[in-house]
Amino acid sequence: MKRKQILSLLMASAMLLGMTACGGGDSADGGSADNSETETTSESGGDDASSGEKSKITICWRDDGTDIELNANYQQMMAAYEQWDKKDQVELDFAPITADEGNYFTKVALQLADPGTCPDLVCEDTFQMPNDIAAGYLTNLDEYVANYDDWNNGLYFESMQNMVTGPDGSVYGIPYCTDTRGLFYNRDILAQAGVIAEGEDWQPTSWQDIIDACAAVKENCPDVVPFWCNSGVATGEATSMQTYEMLLYGTGERLITDDGKWIVSSQGIQDSLQFLSDIYTNGYGPSLSLVLNGQASNTSAREYLPQNKLAISLDGIWITGSWKESGAAPWEGYEDIVGLAAMPTSEGQDPGTITLAGGWAYSIPENSDNKDLTWEFIQEMMKPDIYQKYIMQAGNICTRTDTAETEEYSSQPLFDIATEFLETAEFRPQNDQYSTVSTSIQQMVESVVSGTSPEDAMAQYATSVARAVGEENVVEQ
Amino acid sequence: MGEKTVNAIHYVILTIIGIVFVLPLIWLVVASLDLNANQALKWPETWTFSNYTGVLTNPDDMRGFGIGLVISLVQSLIVVLVSGLAAYPLSRYRLSYKKGFMYTILFMTSLPMIAVIVPIYKMFLQIGLLDSIPGVILYLSASSLPYGIWLMKNFMDGVPVELEEAAWVDGATTMQSILKVVAPLMFPGICVVFIYTFSGSWGNFFIPYILISSPDKMPASVLLYQFFGQHGSISYGPLAAFSVIYALPSILLYILSQNYMSKGFTMAGAAKG
Amino acid sequence: MAKPAAKKVGKMAVFREDMKKSVLLLPAVILLFGFFLVPIFLTVYYSFTNMALTGSAAQNFQFVGLDNYLSMFTDPTTLIAIKNTLVFLVGSLLGQSVIGFLLAYLMKSKAKAFRSILGPCILAGWVMPEIVVSMCCLAFFDVSGTMNMILQAIHLPGVDWIYGHPMLTVIIANVWHGTAFSMMNFQSALDNVSGDIEEAARVDGANRIQTLIRIVVPCIKDTIATNTMLNTLSTLGVFGLIWALTGGGPGTATTTLPIYMYNQGMKNFQLGQGTAIGMLILLIGGVCSVIYTKVMKPES
Repeated sequence: MKRKQILSLLMASAMLLGMTACGGGDSADGGSADNSETETTSESGGDDASSGEKSKITICWRDDGTDIELNANYQQMMAAYEQWDKKDQVELDFAPITADEGNYFTKVALQLADPGTCPDLVCEDTFQMPNDIAAGYLTNLDEYVANYDDWNNGLYFESMQNMVTGPDGSVYGIPYCTDTRGLFYNRDILAQAGVIAEGEDWQPTSWQDIIDACAAVKENCPDVVPFWCNSGVATGEATSMQTYEMLLYGTGERLITDDGKWIVSSQGIQDSLQFLSDIYTNGYGPSLSLVLNGQASNTSAREYLPQNKLAISLDGIWITGSWKESGAAPWEGYEDIVGLAAMPTSEGQDPGTITLAGGWAYSIPENSDNKDLTWEFIQEMMKPDIYQKYIMQAGNICTRTDTAETEEYSSQPLFDIATEFLETAEFRPQNDQYSTVSTSIQQMVESVVSGTSPEDAMAQYATSVARAVGEENVVEQ
Repeated sequence: MGEKTVNAIHYVILTIIGIVFVLPLIWLVVASLDLNANQALKWPETWTFSNYTGVLTNPDDMRGFGIGLVISLVQSLIVVLVSGLAAYPLSRYRLSYKKGFMYTILFMTSLPMIAVIVPIYKMFLQIGLLDSIPGVILYLSASSLPYGIWLMKNFMDGVPVELEEAAWVDGATTMQSILKVVAPLMFPGICVVFIYTFSGSWGNFFIPYILISSPDKMPASVLLYQFFGQHGSISYGPLAAFSVIYALPSILLYILSQNYMSKGFTMAGAAKG
Repeated sequence: MAKPAAKKVGKMAVFREDMKKSVLLLPAVILLFGFFLVPIFLTVYYSFTNMALTGSAAQNFQFVGLDNYLSMFTDPTTLIAIKNTLVFLVGSLLGQSVIGFLLAYLMKSKAKAFRSILGPCILAGWVMPEIVVSMCCLAFFDVSGTMNMILQAIHLPGVDWIYGHPMLTVIIANVWHGTAFSMMNFQSALDNVSGDIEEAARVDGANRIQTLIRIVVPCIKDTIATNTMLNTLSTLGVFGLIWALTGGGPGTATTTLPIYMYNQGMKNFQLGQGTAIGMLILLIGGVCSVIYTKVMKPES
């Protein structure tokens, strides 16, 4: 009996060979079956190009659920494509990933790893780049940028160029936007609550000032949500950066020590979490059902602020993009109602205010099979006229110096303030472990806002970061 | 308490449970016909079919349904065919390894296959089956195969071997006797396996979500997940209409097969959906 | 039922004969081997590596021995996930079995018309695809959903179901989805309990409850065991329902083992650590499976 089982196992392993062969055949069959099922196939690349006359650039970005026609990236691509002299030879294949921010990077990584399904152009959040560079997923663009005049003639801000430079000193993406964060407030509500006088600007000088303002709003405008910040796992990096790091950096601490060890336990972490806990336990925050889903940032920016249902929102400058005429939630006269204040440090200690800057870049995956054309297309998209239109619609801060100088761009409401923030902005650690640590941060923040004590949440954070980066790379302070 | 009172109480309890169970679905149907549907059950101010026409005229949605149907149908056919063939020797012959084999199969039916999603992804990456609908079909077929074999074998045991012997006498081959004698007699069983497999894969959104990356290859289940996983301020009307259409094949199959299903239930012990 | 096999032939001959008869098994064995067993072997292998979805370990992963297991068992989230899995399991089992049995038992003697209306009401939740169940529950238990509307109508305060009582909500969702299965199991078992015995007990003066506990339950105890076992196994594997409803949150409130595995393996990019959790799930499933196999006895 025993021996029979072993023999049948052997027989089965012989079949494994058959299996792989069979698998391969099926995949080939599948390709053609898919074609009849779906008109376009996104198996991009040279092989396909030989059969058709047009070669294809597959483009991957995050679809946040807004109508694609309103998506600024989409419009930029279409505009660049329309005036491109290679338009007739090239076809754009849009393959957006419909996912919340938390799951976007997982899906991107799943695709970048696979030569068969890898896109040719990917929108990378710069914090994710060190990780993907280390994985060998991104193409080294040094040879390309060597002949890119705009790049070498100072038409890109140097700080933005640094943002896309890997630890090896090579360039891995073309930065297409940056941003700063601060406290967006509704002047009418704060005036009504007695926090500011009519026509006055609000500038809190410590966290306590924010809490006090919230208390005033809650008392005087009971139907208004006093304070909103991204707080869930579903809002992904927004939770880490707009919320947690804005707080942590404001305590004077950082995520990582100068010698590259992650700080997993400290007074600053505890204070930051305590602030969040105070906001939510006092009822100053939105209900969890609003803030813990993937659309939370859109809900606050496109519904609650414009509808006078939210007093203060800790968010990024791009939210103004959706209020423009061409945006997802046009809001006439927002420049008169919304104010932008810098986030204060915890107790007003030096430097008094804090902001973080991030940004996104166009990268070419290592597994792309259409790199040269994709590179040309990136250059098309970054041409000043097209780019300026894009960046203004996105409501973000530009990466090109020539765009920054145009009157049209610099006169946008609140941009003087947001751009001024940039001069003292902090950046996230350029470390290939950051994106993993970031997911632990999101879990920690969500735990706190849903009732876990700051101490317990920090202890959990310590364990999960140690798991991700190794015991030897963490430190308690 | 008199018998009548007790009986009345029973009716009340049963009715309450029934209402509680059916309420979420009533919401679903009503919302799908409401121009301004929201989370709560309410009488629509404006009844409309526009939610349905919206879904039915959207090429992306229809493609999703089509792909979902292809995946589920092909997978169910594979499972019926392969498990039917496998059941024959297991049911009819004396095999030295049969006991071990059947134990293994039974063991496999109950392993939570969600646990192997990472290796599946890695394996598909290696052999180039990612983002391929046939790949998804193959994996789903294999994962519902043990249960299919288990059911088929039990159903086949219920078909008397004497009937087949008559066919052998007439010179029928094994294949002929399977097709002409066994299969028709165990048709209810085949339906159970088919329906069970179909509804299992029709409802599965996680496997295609991980293994498929092109938006235009996503089956309806993934579309539905993306719809409400993404849109914070959900427009409930179209979503409900999509769900109703999406649930229809499961409901239809169930109704069509109710006889077979209950028969299959007693024959096989259980069929878990 | 089997064709008589020639006795007293060499073992090799028996084997050869077996193989010849087994040709029809071939497609099944190939599929199962390639897409069922190989992934399981790979799970074992990967769980001893530091494989990652991105970062340097994505390019070259290494054998790291028991590291993934050690870190798994020192992480308090693992305990939370195990606890959540148990609560979810027990809650679902109790809900499904008790309501399922109640329905089957009470429906037994009721008017046919009534049964034919009630039956489909219960079955509907079972027939619905998992993702539709999530969606219905998401709306039903929303802060301004139907449930709170009913509570308000009877002057009770509304409850934040999904974020305030997430575990309860996912259990209710699973009970809604799964009760029909238990009900059908119990119905077919109860059909086989002879009314005469019950009648006799009643004549002897036993009341309704006593009859139920002393007569009916012992008669269907096999069904109870099988039903519990099957529900356990299917509940262990529940992923989509929870993921679409709460995503495992808020915090870790509904993070069961499968969700934990996804978060660790995919969201945190640590494929190796994810598969170690996968191994834990397989192990628990395997143990339950062995018990189940014992109960089902394939060759009896």
